[in-house]
Amino acid sequence: MPEIKKLSDGIFEVIKDKKQLATQNLNLGKTVYGEKLISIEGVEYRTWDPRRSKLGAMILKRFNIPLTKDAKVLYLGAASGTTVSHVSDIVSEGAVYAVEFAPRSMRDLIGLASRRKNIHPILADAGKPESYSHLIEPVDLIFQDVAQPNQAEIAARNAIRFLKKDGNLLLSIKARSIDTAANPKEVFKEEVKKLEQAFEPGFEIINAKDLMPYHEDHLGVLARFKK
Amino acid sequence: MKINTWFGILETGRAGEILESRLFSKDIRELALHSLSLRESRSNLPPEGFDLKAAALESGFVESPAEYYSLLHEVTLEAAKIQVSGALTPDQRIIQAVEALDDINETTNSLSERLFEWYGGYFPESGLGGEDLARFIVKYGSRENIDSEDLLYSKAKNSMGAKLEPADEVLLKGFAESVCSLYERRRQIETYIEDSMELVAPNLKLIAGPMLGARLISLAGSLEKLAEFPSSTIQVIGASKALFKHLRARAPSPKHGIIYSHPLINTAPWWVRGKIARAVASKLSLAARIDFYSRTKDPSLIEKLEAKVLQIRTLNPKPPQKRKESGAKLKKRRKK
Repeated sequence: MPEIKKLSDGIFEVIKDKKQLATQNLNLGKTVYGEKLISIEGVEYRTWDPRRSKLGAMILKRFNIPLTKDAKVLYLGAASGTTVSHVSDIVSEGAVYAVEFAPRSMRDLIGLASRRKNIHPILADAGKPESYSHLIEPVDLIFQDVAQPNQAEIAARNAIRFLKKDGNLLLSIKARSIDTAANPKEVFKEEVKKLEQAFEPGFEIINAKDLMPYHEDHLGVLARFKK
Repeated sequence: MKINTWFGILETGRAGEILESRLFSKDIRELALHSLSLRESRSNLPPEGFDLKAAALESGFVESPAEYYSLLHEVTLEAAKIQVSGALTPDQRIIQAVEALDDINETTNSLSERLFEWYGGYFPESGLGGEDLARFIVKYGSRENIDSEDLLYSKAKNSMGAKLEPADEVLLKGFAESVCSLYERRRQIETYIEDSMELVAPNLKLIAGPMLGARLISLAGSLEKLAEFPSSTIQVIGASKALFKHLRARAPSPKHGIIYSHPLINTAPWWVRGKIARAVASKLSLAARIDFYSRTKDPSLIEKLEAKVLQIRTLNPKPPQKRKESGAKLKKRRKK
């Protein structure tokens, strides 16, 4: 008999043979990317693979994810919606603004969004928040996974425009997309420094950890916006 | 102050209160198109931290947050659909065709080889391969059915190959038919790429040839991206492994990527290949830019390139002398 343990709002650990991260499925009976569905006491859970999701990896790395079921989330770099689907599960009564630049990924994301009312897909460049500022209300959390060399700048520009006063930023930094040749540790140090200093009023870093063994050369950062 | 939002145009006072509002009708398609038209707008942006949902409620656009989200959901979905359907531009079609061509080549080659091995047991002397062999099998099946007019007639009659049983013959004929149709498909795609390149990127086609031009677009991701690349990038597209090895460690920089297949480069002697690759890349980047931004064909490009290549070759007629590591060996040789 599978067991269930609540990790935080909307995030669970299902124990069936092994421990697995999971969220409560908002779109009953449907899977998104071939994950497993497990029913426990009449509630359907979707397992969450941390190797395919930076956010999933951050949770297992004991990041304190500040999400409640009515939270508003700006998700930059939504890709095909693997992780977006889990965020959509967590903020079941909130909203996910899913920004993605690649039309090919957007095709998959549209399929997902048409089945989940709380996802608002936006095909736009996360580096140009002005181009979607007419659509987005102030949000509680910005999650960013964009693999661009100016990641810190993108985060700051979006935070200034859309993040609420005590909102949080969750960032996945990919060392290889900033500098292919440099040592990832040095790149991470640089980027964290950029987040803390280069912008007014800047971010207060709450937690920064690499995402091994789930993702190589990736750093997860949780920061609070000093407004 | 005036504010553009997805649901209407607002006029706000100093404290952010709404003085006036011109709200749009709740037509999803109209709202989506309007939202798309606001993407490039740099004026009347909502100020930082502006609460759109509260404004929509306050101005009376919607009655409840639930209605707000439901409408917003429909509008963003519709807008994204419009954008995605517009994203399949002619250069994207060329990319799909090039990638399909690569897949077909790979499949055709491996199936052709299989057919060669398989039929070889029945008629090893044929000397045929590839499409010729496939056509032969489709035509005759067993070598015993060969036409007396056929050039291979005597070879077929005296072959040491095994007898082809009817069941195997049916199988092989069908297999050969599939291979033939793959060759057919390959020609069809090649023609398609040639025709499309003439329309989409005539200058690139002129300088690079249709296939190399299409491959460059494919590797860059789009004609727009190719046009934005500096020519030094175009020079090494397709040599990313060598390039990153060069950037990380002390490996030599690559002289050419996929443009190596350009006849001006691969027929050049080794000591000028790098220089010629650079010249070709610079003209390719010019061509891509003309194609993307104006699309008028400029035949003088290829003349200039040929003149430049000729100049490089006349200035460097001989391979550079390798620097001797020390003078000692040289002296020794002279003594002898």
